[in-house]
Amino acid sequence: MTAALRYELRMQLRRPDLWSVTAVTVVLLWLLTARSLPIFLSEDPRTAMIRAIIICNVPLPIGYAFLLADRLVRDERLGVAALLDATPSSRPGRLLGKYLGCAAATALPVATIYFGFSAVYTIRNGAPQALSWALAMFATITVPALLFVGAVSLCGPLVMPTAVFRVLFVGYWMWSSYLVPPKLVPTLTQTVIYPMGGYPIQVFFGYRGGHASGGSDWAGPVPGALFNALRPAPTVATAWLSIAVIVGLAALTLSAAHLVCERRTR
Amino acid sequence: MRFFDRWRYEARRAGRATLLAPWLVTALLAAGATLAARTAGNGAIPRTLLSAVEMAIPLVVGVSAASLVGRDPAVELQLAMPAGYRGTLLRRWAVTVAASALLAAGLCGGLMASGWWARWPRTHGVLLGQLTWAAPVCWLAGLGLLAGAVLRGPAAAATVVTAPWLLEQLLPDQLQAHQWSRLLYLFATTGGRDADWGPNRFVLLASSVPLAAGAWLLLGQTQRLLGGETG
Repeated sequence: MTAALRYELRMQLRRPDLWSVTAVTVVLLWLLTARSLPIFLSEDPRTAMIRAIIICNVPLPIGYAFLLADRLVRDERLGVAALLDATPSSRPGRLLGKYLGCAAATALPVATIYFGFSAVYTIRNGAPQALSWALAMFATITVPALLFVGAVSLCGPLVMPTAVFRVLFVGYWMWSSYLVPPKLVPTLTQTVIYPMGGYPIQVFFGYRGGHASGGSDWAGPVPGALFNALRPAPTVATAWLSIAVIVGLAALTLSAAHLVCERRTR
Repeated sequence: MRFFDRWRYEARRAGRATLLAPWLVTALLAAGATLAARTAGNGAIPRTLLSAVEMAIPLVVGVSAASLVGRDPAVELQLAMPAGYRGTLLRRWAVTVAASALLAAGLCGGLMASGWWARWPRTHGVLLGQLTWAAPVCWLAGLGLLAGAVLRGPAAAATVVTAPWLLEQLLPDQLQAHQWSRLLYLFATTGGRDADWGPNRFVLLASSVPLAAGAWLLLGQTQRLLGGETG
């Protein structure tokens, strides 16, 4: 597993596409935040960091998913999957190593962009606590989301063409984002499987409002909406449950991918 | 190989799943709209179908176009064929665009025949109304092919196509504030100003020509096509 992780990490970091996608998403983020950036910089550290992570979590996981989408199917296309199967390494270990290596390398630009903003904020405002907030938010909001998106992106193209997966992922990400009001459209927003981390945002960091769909809650039931069974009241326990469910879904997706690969080899 | 054989082969090479992708996306949106009709009222269904025509189908075309370059396993062999590889890619591109155009035109026809089209305030008659999908489809298809030709990596090229689409989804109000951005706004039927609709569709169609021409020029440079990332 460790060898696969190391190799995949290096391979992904040396891939020109990683840096092209990062450049495009940086331009996109700049265009999205050009007006609100001065406002972010003048807010208190916690609010500034949470707003930055909310904005980053719309476009960055899309580029991240695009980059990971071809990693697993690539082995089969290049004809090295059968060759790797003949080595003494275990298939689950290789899959896990590939997943963690690719995901870590692709998450590096995401982390650099977010912590870059935190560093600018800290230097400009002389508020080192911003970095602690940024670290806590990245660990509880972005990391579970990236683990889930990474697993789905590695496995989705096993059952459909990569281009189709990329389009469906954009649709899924927009549909399950805070941009869609759950009252009007059946969506995963504010549920425990909401991948943008509504429960940690509201419970751990006490953030409300700033919702593009007009509401102020990030987690919990919405009167009259579908899927309210997945929206327990926001508490510390349900926030941890939300993180556990998202990471669990990532593990489940990877297990499914392992089964699909096993079946194809037979 | 005869003319029709080449087109038939490229339709098969584009892949059934890629050609069915716009249908799949539209079916998913329609299913979502049917569920949404429970809470948002019956207007949700025509609104969603119109969104599929102007937003979802063009994105499918753009990402598919961006994925054309760099996925053939033996480009060297293709480049050595009497039929130029540029022509092969352009045929595959045309098949991909045509499959989506067929669905979009059919959806428009269905919306018009059912009377749902007239329920939307910004509609423009039977023929002009087809520009609802034609303009964003052509623009994103041109951008996708150009991005594919420049970057030779489907992941990066698909990101280039998705970026303006996403930006226009997230900042509709800011983009309506300037004349130049209103003219390049992809979703002028569902989210733009009525007065700018005609010029906007014209500018999108006209600007898709240099995008496609740029791709055509780049795809003619054989050495650029070798060594691209597959995916």
